[in-house]
Amino acid sequence: MKLEFKGNRVLIAGGSCEMALCVAGLLMGEGLHPLLTWRSEQGRGKIEDSLKQFEGRFDTAHMDFSIPESVERLFSQMEEGPDYLVDFAQGDYESLVGSADAVLTSRYFTENVSTRADLIRRAARAMLKKRQGRMVFISSAAAWRSNPGQGFYAAAKLASEALYRSVGVEMAGRGITSVTLRPGYVDSGRGGRYIEAHDGAVARTPIGRAIAPGEVAQAVLFFLSDSAAAFNAVEICMDGGLTAVK
Amino acid sequence: MDIFGEIRESLTEILDIEAEQVTPETYVIRDLGAESIDLLELSISLNSRFKVEINDEEIYLKSLRSCLNGAGANGDAGNRILRQFPFINGKRAGEILGDLEGGPVLKVKDLMSYVSWRAGKNGC
Repeated sequence: MKLEFKGNRVLIAGGSCEMALCVAGLLMGEGLHPLLTWRSEQGRGKIEDSLKQFEGRFDTAHMDFSIPESVERLFSQMEEGPDYLVDFAQGDYESLVGSADAVLTSRYFTENVSTRADLIRRAARAMLKKRQGRMVFISSAAAWRSNPGQGFYAAAKLASEALYRSVGVEMAGRGITSVTLRPGYVDSGRGGRYIEAHDGAVARTPIGRAIAPGEVAQAVLFFLSDSAAAFNAVEICMDGGLTAVK
Repeated sequence: MDIFGEIRESLTEILDIEAEQVTPETYVIRDLGAESIDLLELSISLNSRFKVEINDEEIYLKSLRSCLNGAGANGDAGNRILRQFPFINGKRAGEILGDLEGGPVLKVKDLMSYVSWRAGKNGC
């Protein structure tokens, strides 16, 4: 299937994770221009190393949810706002609800929900100028079915899903739509570490394996394309059937 | 083009209406039927035209009713409006107080006052 894209500039938040790098490669293959955000010099280096064969066809910029001003700076650096937003950004905080630290909890939600809301707000306003835009939020199957210790992660993901869904509801009439993708166990980064630490997690998945980062990237590419325009304000699970079984 | 002309152009583009429908005395919501999404688009358009930061809460008098909650007599309500919305003058505050029963009070001239005030703050 040949995918078509109305826009060109793609802001990829959380751009140094393996899935984001896969998405960026696919996008450049389609002739689009990604801007990948990084939180640390290590992340920046990872992006530049991984994508060096595409030199000159992508940009990088600093953005860190723990530094709210970095979101404002990011948008002031972009001459034109993005046509697309792909949001992989997410901080880590694994704790049982009953043993959580109140200060850390508050900070986690400020960073991963409130600051993300500012990212979405700025992207939505930039897209509204062009009356065109598409947002894909990478949530998690854990948003719906969280394991012990994932309560705060799930809560932040669910709150963020609601923000993206609302953009799709409020702005679709102006050409701006959104989709949330909920991958299950993905064999990379945080997901890979989780699989390693929790025996049997993947075995419970009906397809009998973890999701590959490239599979998530292909799905994101499709959801960004014009072909997927009717998917709006919705959460789509990509978990190999995990959440359908007892 | 002057401030009114620019605002009128934004309104006619966003709301798909004729320029003759817009005067400084026109109610933005009551007369022109602007909805939330239209106002959001208007903010972005005004920001782009005038290069001033637009605060949606201020320019659209969004917190007007809550700021008047519990206001007593002796000019307290008017003073609250002047404090909350520094771009509104005393005469306009009086008009607003006499007009609350009719629905959303926002007029095109309030948008003009806001833009002038912001431009002044920017030293333009």
